Amino acid sequence: MSEPTDKDLIIEVLKGSPESFEPLVVKYQPRVFALARRYAKRENEVEDIVQTVFLKAYSKLSSYRGDAPFEHWLMRTATYTCYDFLRKHQRNREWNASDLSEEENDWFENIGEESKDKTNLKAAKSLVDKLLDELKPQDRHIVIMLDLEEKSVKEIAEITGLSESNVKVKAYRAREKMRLAIVRLNPEKYI
Amino acid sequence: MRESGDILRKMLTETREIKLDKVPYAFEKRIMSHIQETAETDLNLWKLWSRALFKAAIPCFSLMILAAIWASSQHPSPQTERASETKNTITVQAETENSNLETIVMIAVDPPNIDD
Repeated sequence: MSEPTDKDLIIEVLKGSPESFEPLVVKYQPRVFALARRYAKRENEVEDIVQTVFLKAYSKLSSYRGDAPFEHWLMRTATYTCYDFLRKHQRNREWNASDLSEEENDWFENIGEESKDKTNLKAAKSLVDKLLDELKPQDRHIVIMLDLEEKSVKEIAEITGLSESNVKVKAYRAREKMRLAIVRLNPEKYI
Repeated sequence: MRESGDILRKMLTETREIKLDKVPYAFEKRIMSHIQETAETDLNLWKLWSRALFKAAIPCFSLMILAAIWASSQHPSPQTERASETKNTITVQAETENSNLETIVMIAVDPPNIDD
């Protein structure tokens, strides 16, 4: 017997069998976790976001019309939830060179080398997180979607309710701010 | 010497390459237990409400029957009778006064022929 499709499972849930939601959670939780980790640093915050996403999806399942894949609908819910998290946990911290860890300093030292080393990639992520901390929630949201999630400007405009040109302007200004933060963070000899 | 723009691009590219989709063990069970709890709470609230309604229905119905019996068994008291008599007298009196006034007006408008 073939595996039930997403639609079959959704119909079952709506008929009153909540356990049919579990395969959907199992299937999509890695994607939701990956997205949540772009927005939150602490693992307990990430877990809370993911839990909120699935509980929201479950309670609003009747509003899913089925004209787009369930994954798109779920990821949109996840994006909104992540943005809500950003707004509620606005940190706006300014980092300095003295705040950098050893790994982050090493990353700047080895900047010319091509490395797929896990520690190196982690340092890059942690540096990006520091740069993102300096942005307003909406700008941060746009940079994450555009540069990390690789969504199109059109998609971002739809999600944020901004015009496409406004998204481009905000993204440009946010990157400029991040670039200036790099100059501040990075010891002068590397720039 | 490197441009800060290039550094940012490299940073973002490397950040994209990191795998972030690791899921804690049995995380789906945590979500499902929350969903089950919510469903049970909803069901319990509904159960409680319907049980309370069912319990309240019997006393309400009996009270209604008792009230109906009591109302139909009540005879009008002498005081009530006297009040209704007074009311009737006043009404009759007012009607007579009205008819008298009507006659006077009619006479004024159309006086009877004295010769007849």
